[in-house]
Formats: sequence, structure tokens, C-alpha cells
Amino acid sequence: MSTTTLSKGQALAFAAPAFIAILPFLVACVYILRFSLSAEQGVIEGISIRAYQELMTPFFGRSVWLTLKLAFIATVIVMFMAVPLAFLLTSLRGSFARRLLTVTILLPLILNLLVQAYGWILLLGPSGALNTLLKSLGLIERPLFLLFNETGVLLGLVQTSLPLAVFPIVSAVRGISKEHLEAASSLGASNWRILRDVSLPLLRPALVGAASIVFAFNASAFAIPLLLGGRRVQMMGVAIRDMISPLFNWSGAAAAGMILILLTLFVLVVSAWLVRVTTVKTKG
Amino acid sequence: MSETHLNIEGLSKSFDNVQALSNIDLKVDRGAFVCLLGPSGCGKTTLLRIIAGFERATAGKLVLDGADITNLAPHKRGFGMVFQSLALFPHMSVAENISYGLKLRKTSRVEQKDRVEELLNVVELPHIADRPVSALSGGQRQRVAIARALAIRPKLFLLDEPLSALDAKLRDNMQIELRRLQQSFGVTTVLVTHDQTEAMMLADELVVLSDGVIQQAAPPSQVYRFPANPFVADFIGSANILPAVSTSQKTLGLLGMNTGISVQQAPGITLQAAVRSEAISLRRVESGGTGTISFARDLGPVTEWLVQAAGHEIRVRGASSAASPTVGDQVELKFDQDRISVFAS
Repeated sequence: MSTTTLSKGQALAFAAPAFIAILPFLVACVYILRFSLSAEQGVIEGISIRAYQELMTPFFGRSVWLTLKLAFIATVIVMFMAVPLAFLLTSLRGSFARRLLTVTILLPLILNLLVQAYGWILLLGPSGALNTLLKSLGLIERPLFLLFNETGVLLGLVQTSLPLAVFPIVSAVRGISKEHLEAASSLGASNWRILRDVSLPLLRPALVGAASIVFAFNASAFAIPLLLGGRRVQMMGVAIRDMISPLFNWSGAAAAGMILILLTLFVLVVSAWLVRVTTVKTKG
Repeated sequence: MSETHLNIEGLSKSFDNVQALSNIDLKVDRGAFVCLLGPSGCGKTTLLRIIAGFERATAGKLVLDGADITNLAPHKRGFGMVFQSLALFPHMSVAENISYGLKLRKTSRVEQKDRVEELLNVVELPHIADRPVSALSGGQRQRVAIARALAIRPKLFLLDEPLSALDAKLRDNMQIELRRLQQSFGVTTVLVTHDQTEAMMLADELVVLSDGVIQQAAPPSQVYRFPANPFVADFIGSANILPAVSTSQKTLGLLGMNTGISVQQAPGITLQAAVRSEAISLRRVESGGTGTISFARDLGPVTEWLVQAAGHEIRVRGASSAASPTVGDQVELKFDQDRISVFAS
């Protein structure tokens, strides 16, 4: 039995405007796929896998590895921060404190990425606030290099993707039935034990969902690695842009883009599959 | 065997401005089966949740075996609880659910396994230990939830409307089952319900609550036969609450008739009488009866009538027979002295 009030036809009509927005994107994806198979670098002409073959270089391999590595580490860090924040948000009763925290976490979604990146530069740059403070305290002699390297990019990725994880987890935490927690408590479980044995396992689908969003977001990041990593941290987004902008290698950029999409999809599909096979059925 | 196990002393609870419970005093004997009964919003669930430790009382004390447990955390109380939603852990198998409390007590694996098997036998569900909870029927889940609560050898066994989700037939069976289990384990039990039949069926001691106050606490038959006030009389077994008077012979005057039932109150005093529907018998008369039948329904073993008499609608229940009066008939009413309770008005 359907749980919605709309029939399939009605739902389709209801979603029509969304299709108008999605269709051009799909067309663009097909266009990029076609371009990646072009025999020429600047125009679509002929069919060839030359663009893909030309990507099989140590440089591009390092870029792929770096992208997956940074996206993965950022996702892990984000999840370790998002879960406690979600519990904190759901446990706050006073509406002012809850709103304040909500806005603080939401801020990265509202603020322009450029503004956020410059914020980090002002804070962490060689002559930024942190280095100035540490120097004036006599703790360091030369400035710490926190930007234009992997650390800087990681900081930026974690900060910008945190809200993407927190809010889905908050709604999942709210969805846990109080009676499950009380049942565990009556059986003798302390609050930390309940968190470990009941809450987190029940949250697992939501956690994997949130982690997938964060991973995909970070793997395809462009502005943050460019602004906080400079040219030294060649994540795929940056590498692709470099192929287009100074090199005019459109087919190479398209091929790299396809590889990024496929890798991300692969990771998401595998994680979804892992959840399915390891979760005891909860329906019914 | 009337040793007090749980003693509730002067317990009150208010939420913001709402007084949920006022000055509850209740002694629960060791091994007793107590039912908290009342309409929704009467405070029965709040009282159970305070006993379990999920709510804090605003005032008063909980004493278990002489020890004050008012402020003890719920996970340190060692009470087994069955929830209205059952709250089985969906990510655990039946065996994992039942042994969870034992695992927390660091019981050995062998012992856990034995205990799970023992309890599944007791609830008559052997061979389902490895199934996921989602594969169970409603009745099976019920039994697993009961097994999980009993597995920890609880000091108190608490149940919050555990049978309300079952259909009528299954509920009947589970009531008998629950009573049998409780007696074989000898565990002191507190059950919350709004279903008076269920409460009468299960309880050694019936606690009728309304508006956060205990209206009466007594064995079921006593509550039924000697209700403490009109509310209890009406709530348990739905009595007709009728205005009455003490006649000059100090007998009960009801519906303008002298019933001949003697009362304590001085002549002329207005009273309230709670008259069970089965305390009235009807006799058909050709004319000049005290009442007229306005509704009759043959339910098989018994028939229910509504009688219009002296401006009141009176519910009557009695054995069905071919000679039973039907709608429009004039009837005389006769009252059974034993099933009428009289209250000062």
C-alpha cells in the first residue's frame, strides 16, 4: 500500500518543475561524457579513448588519491563532530540556546564560500591572527604553515561540510523512540551504554546517508582546495580546472570529470550496499 | 503474605501548572499483582513512570524493601518493564533482546544462553531465538517483550498498557498467560490499564485513579461490590448513578419508589445511589408500570434494556428469555439490595 496521498501520475505531474531543472543537468552530463570520448582536445570530433589514456599519469593518479584521501578524512572528522552536535541540539530545551547553535552550525551554508575561505586566510595565514598571537606569546619564531597545504584544505572541507551532516542526523535522533531508550535503561544500561548499544545502531542508516553526502560534497570540492590549498593541493576539482583554463584540454577535463563522478558513485553505492547487508531488517 | 515490598508515600507530581498526581499513598505487597486503572489522563502512566524512575516526583517518597529509591537512576533500579509500544530493539535478534539485560550484568555467555532458552520456553516460543524481531507476529513480540523484562529477575515487573495493541481474542489469551507467568515467577507486578475487564482479570489489588488521586485501592471484587464513591461505581462495571433519598422509615427512596432497602442516613437526606445494571429486574405489566422500555437488545446470554422511568434513563441487564419485555412495554422495576451502593450526595 502506498503511504502517500498522491497516485503515481499525480506525483509525476507534481514533480514536473523539478524535471525541468534536472533535465538540462542530465543533458550536460551526457555532453561531458561525449566530450570525454572525443578524439580532439578542443572540439567534439570522432570517438576515441585518448583523453582517458592521457590521464593515466602519475600526476593525475596522485590527484585522484589525494581527492579520495582528503574527502575520506574530512568525512570521518565531520562525522565525529556531527554526531555529538546532533545529540546536543536535540537535548537543548531552551529555544534560544537551540536556535543560536542551529544558526552557528548553519552559517557555512549561508555564507559565500569565498568569504569563508578568506576568513580562514585572515585567521591562519602566515601573518594571520593565529600566527601573530603565537609569535607575540613567544611560542613560535617563524609562522606556522597552516594554509596552502593539505591541513588548510582539510580544515576548509570539514568546516563547509559539517552542516550537511548535522541536520540529517538531528532529524534521525529525534526519530528514535523514547521507549527504546527507556527499555535499555530499565534493563540496566547507563546513558553512555544506551548511546552505544541502542541509539547509534538505530541511527546507522542516517549516519551512512550523512557520511555519503559529506563525502560526495568534499570529493567534488573546488573553491576550498583552490583558495586554501593554492596550486599545491591538486584535488581533482582544481586539476580539472587547470586542464580547461591554461591548457584548453576540454576532452581531458571531461574525462577527468567522468572519473570523478564514477569514483564518487562507486563509493556511495558500496557504502549503501554495506549498510543493507549488515543491517537486520527493521521493517514490519 | 502481606509484607510490603514497595511503599509509595505522599507522592505528588506536577508538570508546569498541571497537577498530574496528588499525594499518592500506596503499599504494594510482595508478590502482588497491582493494576492501576483509570480513564486517560488520570495519572496512572505517570505513576508507573515515577516508579520506573523515568519521571521525578515533585514530592513524596518511593521505598523499596525499606530503602529509599526516590532519586535512584532508572538503570540502577533493576525493574523489568514492558512498554506500550513493546520497544523491542529492532537491530537485535530475539535472543539478543532477551539477553541484553544479562549482558549488561556481565552474566556469562553460557548462562545468558540458558536463560534465553528458559524464558522462551516459559512464554511458549521455543526455537525463535535467532529470528529478527521484525519476523515476529504481534503476539510473539508481546511474549518476547515480557521475556526480556523477566530475564533480569526484576525486583518489580512494570507493564504499561502492554496488551492494548492486540486484538480482543489474543488479548484474552495473553491476560491469562500474564497472570500465570506472574504467579509462577512470584514477582511483584504493577500494570497500567484503562480496560476494567483486564484489570479485574489480572489484579490482586485494583487501584482506581482519577484526576491524579487514588479513588479506591482494594481487591477487584471488593471494588466492584463496595465502590468507594460514585466515580468508582460508574467506572467499574458502569452503574446507573441515580438521585435518591432517605425515606421516613430510613429506607432508600429511588425513582419515587420505596425500595425497602435500609440506609444509615437520617430521613429526608438526599443521596446518590449507584445501581448496577444487573441489580435491576424487570417485570412486564399491562398498564401503570413505573417505566417504559425504550431500547432492547438481545446479546445472546443476556439482554440489555434502556428503561425510561421518572425522567431517568436506566440501563438494565438480565438473562434473555422468550418472555423478556420489548420496546414499548410497561415494566415494574425491582432492585437487588446487594448491588446497590448508597453515597451521601
